[in-house]
Amino acid sequence: MDKNLQEEFTQITKFKPPLYKQRYQFVKDLVEKYKPKKVADLGCADCSLLRMLKFCSCIEVLAGLDICANVMKEKMYTLSPLPVDYLQPSERSLTITLHHGSVAHKDPCMLGFDLVTCIELIEHLEEPELKKFPEVVFGFMAPSIVVISTPNSEFNPLLPGVMLYRHPDHKFEWNQAQFQSWALETARCYDYSVEFTGVGHPPTGMEKAGFCTQIGVFIRKYPQTGESLQSEKPTEAVYKTVFKAVYPSLKDEKYLQNAVISEVIFTAQIIKHRLMSKHKEYGNDPERKPKFQPSMDSFSDCLGKLVVEKNMEPFVSGNEVYIPLATIFSFPKVNRLCGTFEKLCKLIAGKVTLSSDGSAVLFNIEHED
Amino acid sequence: MTGRARARGRPPRQGSALPAVGDAPLQHPQQLQQLQHPQQLQQLHVPPAQSEDPGGHGRLRGFESVLQERRPEGLQVSSGLQDLSLRDRGGRRRDFHDLGVNTRQAMVHVQESKTGFSGRMVKLTTNHFRLTSRPQWALYQYHVGYSPEMEARRLRSALLFQHEEHIGKTHAFDGSILFLPKKLENKVTELFSRTRNGEDVKITVTLTNELPPTSPTCLQFYNIIFRRLLKMLNLQQIGRNYYNPSDPVSIPNHRLMVWLGFTSSILQYEENIMLCADVSHKVLRGETVLDTMHSLHSQVGEERFRDTCAKELIGLIVLTRYNNRTYRIDDIDWDNNPKGTFRKSDGSEMSFVEYYKKQYNIEISDWMQPVLISQMKRKRGNIQGSVALIPELCSLTGLTDKMRNDFGMMKDLAIHTRLPPEQRQREIGRLLNYIQKDDNVQKELRNWGLSFDYKSVSFTGRVVQGEKIFQSGNMFDYNPQFADWTKETRGVPLIRAVPVDSWLLIYTRRNYDVANTLLQSLFKVTPSMGIRMNKPNMIEVDDRTEAYLRVLQQRVTPDTNIVFCILSSSRKDKYDAIKKYLCTDCPIPSQCVLARTLSKPQTIMTVATKIALQMNCKMGGELWSVEIPLKQVMIVGIDCYHDTVSGKQSIAGFVASLNQSVTRWFSRCVVQSRGQELVDGIKACLQTALRNWSKWNKCLPSRIFVYRDGVGDGQLNTLVNYEVPQFLDCLKSIGTDYSPRLTVIVVKKRVGARFFAEIGGGLKNPPPGTVVDTVVTRPEWYDFFIVSQTVKNGCVAPTHYNVIYDTSQLKPDHVQRLTYKLCHMYYNWSGIIRVPAPCQYAHKLAFLVGQSIHREPNLMLSDRLYYL
Repeated sequence: MDKNLQEEFTQITKFKPPLYKQRYQFVKDLVEKYKPKKVADLGCADCSLLRMLKFCSCIEVLAGLDICANVMKEKMYTLSPLPVDYLQPSERSLTITLHHGSVAHKDPCMLGFDLVTCIELIEHLEEPELKKFPEVVFGFMAPSIVVISTPNSEFNPLLPGVMLYRHPDHKFEWNQAQFQSWALETARCYDYSVEFTGVGHPPTGMEKAGFCTQIGVFIRKYPQTGESLQSEKPTEAVYKTVFKAVYPSLKDEKYLQNAVISEVIFTAQIIKHRLMSKHKEYGNDPERKPKFQPSMDSFSDCLGKLVVEKNMEPFVSGNEVYIPLATIFSFPKVNRLCGTFEKLCKLIAGKVTLSSDGSAVLFNIEHED
Repeated sequence: MTGRARARGRPPRQGSALPAVGDAPLQHPQQLQQLQHPQQLQQLHVPPAQSEDPGGHGRLRGFESVLQERRPEGLQVSSGLQDLSLRDRGGRRRDFHDLGVNTRQAMVHVQESKTGFSGRMVKLTTNHFRLTSRPQWALYQYHVGYSPEMEARRLRSALLFQHEEHIGKTHAFDGSILFLPKKLENKVTELFSRTRNGEDVKITVTLTNELPPTSPTCLQFYNIIFRRLLKMLNLQQIGRNYYNPSDPVSIPNHRLMVWLGFTSSILQYEENIMLCADVSHKVLRGETVLDTMHSLHSQVGEERFRDTCAKELIGLIVLTRYNNRTYRIDDIDWDNNPKGTFRKSDGSEMSFVEYYKKQYNIEISDWMQPVLISQMKRKRGNIQGSVALIPELCSLTGLTDKMRNDFGMMKDLAIHTRLPPEQRQREIGRLLNYIQKDDNVQKELRNWGLSFDYKSVSFTGRVVQGEKIFQSGNMFDYNPQFADWTKETRGVPLIRAVPVDSWLLIYTRRNYDVANTLLQSLFKVTPSMGIRMNKPNMIEVDDRTEAYLRVLQQRVTPDTNIVFCILSSSRKDKYDAIKKYLCTDCPIPSQCVLARTLSKPQTIMTVATKIALQMNCKMGGELWSVEIPLKQVMIVGIDCYHDTVSGKQSIAGFVASLNQSVTRWFSRCVVQSRGQELVDGIKACLQTALRNWSKWNKCLPSRIFVYRDGVGDGQLNTLVNYEVPQFLDCLKSIGTDYSPRLTVIVVKKRVGARFFAEIGGGLKNPPPGTVVDTVVTRPEWYDFFIVSQTVKNGCVAPTHYNVIYDTSQLKPDHVQRLTYKLCHMYYNWSGIIRVPAPCQYAHKLAFLVGQSIHREPNLMLSDRLYYL
């Protein structure tokens, strides 16, 4: 429950950065390497690992599972989207879900994950739970990668003040041989390969003690299970969902439309502004190279190139300014958002004032100074 | 204009933008390396990670709350408990609702009743909802002790919560105080836990208090619980309020987004504890600070770019990409950029680019952008420094002055933010509906034994009689629906019209025609007002500040009555220079008008009329009056202006009436730098005001009314304990035999309460003159609300008046009536305004000095309304 904190008291002086951070960094590095889309953290406690992982741009689904709902609830709101996530929705979609339940039980919501992390989890399991654990994680969930970390009891004599276990809730602490034999057996049984590593280097001269935290990285040897296999698995949900956050994303039509409309109008206004100021002070302004503002430079370059093509030239007619959609579409940001010209037209239909033939954004400048 | 002044006039960083005390930054004194700028010795910090150090959070905070707790302080809920509202960022532990300031008990004459009686009844509904608890409800407060002593709050919690079977599932614990909805079996409960070290810990839970529902601690507790509920409803906290992000209104023309949200507070009102809920709108901008910088650059060009950025951006509140905090931009460091480095808590050095990549996986794309600086202003804690922010990662919130002045934009916004009564009440109902429908929320409420009335409170208010307007022997009634007498008094002689014998009219060549049109119009409208106006000295100038100043230096004579300047742009520097010169070095009233205002032929007569009235007031004229039944009375108005942008100064505007009909006003102001108390200066102001009053009336006033505006939330205590005694001190110093009756009234415009009149089956804005002094007032105060103004769209906001000191022996009804009368006396608006005229005058004065003059104007002008 409070494993991070408890360890910190004795180890903060010994390890830098603190050991729990090193464990999280290890997971993060793994995510960077394998780019999993769906990641589950079993025994997520106060969600601090999830909070770190939500910033990894490859992840689209994050799930946490813990046996204690209170500890999850304490800080779960920090997993909610931030105001800025709504203001500038990101390209990727992200859903974070927290489940209350046991790793000894199977629930279909845990299927289909790419990476499952069990950081300092197994030593909290009672004998019967530990027995069921491999079948649930490796047999049922069967993700491509499983990471399991657990204390290395050989290191305990090096930690000040550790009497029996590092945490009162620990049911056991294994030495390297114990962990490795359990891991190898599990891997063999479920057709995974396993590699051993760890964080928290032993002091010089004590290398035999091994890492303070021992880690096993399991990789599934067989390819993704087919649908047929999945259907045999029990589908009854046993976990209780305590939290769910769906991040705003441009994959969602609603947010995409808003983003496109605002970008189109903004771009059109800039073009209009340039057009109008050109009208006013004809050639008055010698080209000056501004120090700041690289993006605006590319902007005007972009505009310059485009104007070559006649039909894309914005123009003023009476009190109205016409800015062809084709011009707007050729701006990288708009282009990237919409992908195709048809999509652009579809998204802004009815939301932006267009010329009668629908080919240009229309501004009325009658009431402007 | 008032709105703009308000926005800027808010005291700097009042809580809302402050990260909570004991928050992460205390743990990360990450000092920016100042290699490049040795002259700047300030500390810089990158914004704290929301979760960087989950393990480390507890210690300092826990320690703090322990310290806090050991102080014998019954009122405040500790920081730890504030924290229970799920990482609430309400700012410092501050008594925003001025709980526990009981001023009524000292005023014998309002012990029995503080209600008025005059006027006709009106049926009102409010945005208040009763909080109900089961009978004999109490909150049980326990002290939790550990033996041996445990320091970390998280550890303390973890150890205690191992015993949920004893203490129950519903609890609020800050590491030291435990609140429970039910009483434990024994007064002292001993529990035993074991730490990871195998250390046995004895936990002693001792009942310290049985809090009745009305105790101040309980009230704070309700507010914390309520904010917890809002969070459970997935509302987003920005500043002090909660907003619904799922259904924003987008205004793409201006790149704005409006979030609908709620303000809420739970307080003890006259008879009940009630929730006051109101709709709040948050204007957010769909662009980053860097985007804004780019568009500014394309608008103003390289030369004025940095100045413009500073002007536009400093003072704005930003949200960051990566944590749920708000920061105020205090400075822009142009010599720094994202490649710049800072020193982390562990001593290692890191660039911003690296930091954001490592911490949040964010790639900063523009490495040339400057760095924004936000000052961390906290009273305690070991860091007093600043936070460095990257423009690209910051989103702007709120409106800039420029946007406020953009009529089109404000109009587009108003469609969404100015909700008429019915709609507003519907939106508030929606919040209550969410609360009612959500199972988790209901469960939480049930566990604490609380619930709400889901129908808002109704009661009757009074609409006091409209005032008669007197102008040179004529008497006018105005249409109470519009609360305006422009039409009625048009073409009627003024009470005192000051002749304009010698005056200057300064204009640029381009505005020659405009100047002539204006002149002709003035000559047309002034005779009927009784103003004698000579031909001005017409002076053409170049459109440069120095040119204006040179003309003023050369052409203003001791006989000059007023200087009139037609300005061709709203460039503030020119206006400031003219005002500064004519208010300090060469004290002559002045009138500046934008050429654009005069350029429309269809409105020129109306504009000229208004200008003529304003000029007359500036030269010491009087326009109209209402009947003031009290004799020998001096009315004082005080308001403050806080310059958040440049000078870090605060200015207190002080005005005091000079005559029986309260048509002439004496004024002074106090300019004080940050951290100084206003009190001493105000004392001096009052002394001179009394001297002047006696000069005009050949005696001293027997009654003094002080209308004090500009009092922030939570400052009432200071006012009662320092300012009022100073007033009394000052009066004593005038003479031993002088003891006038003093009344001090705190005026508050920003209140959460809204009233709706039930008229014809629907909800309407209550008519001007509506007084509310029951049900939604506070039992410990002598307070009332008046709705004095009217609004064209949206909901009218009542003004709250809190009489904190009163030896007048007047009935509440008379104080209410006098207050309402004074709302008729503001000469820049021939109608009723939101606050008594002296407050608005004081506001105008403070605003002018704070914005343009920056020091006390010449006292030669002090008997005229030159600041209008």
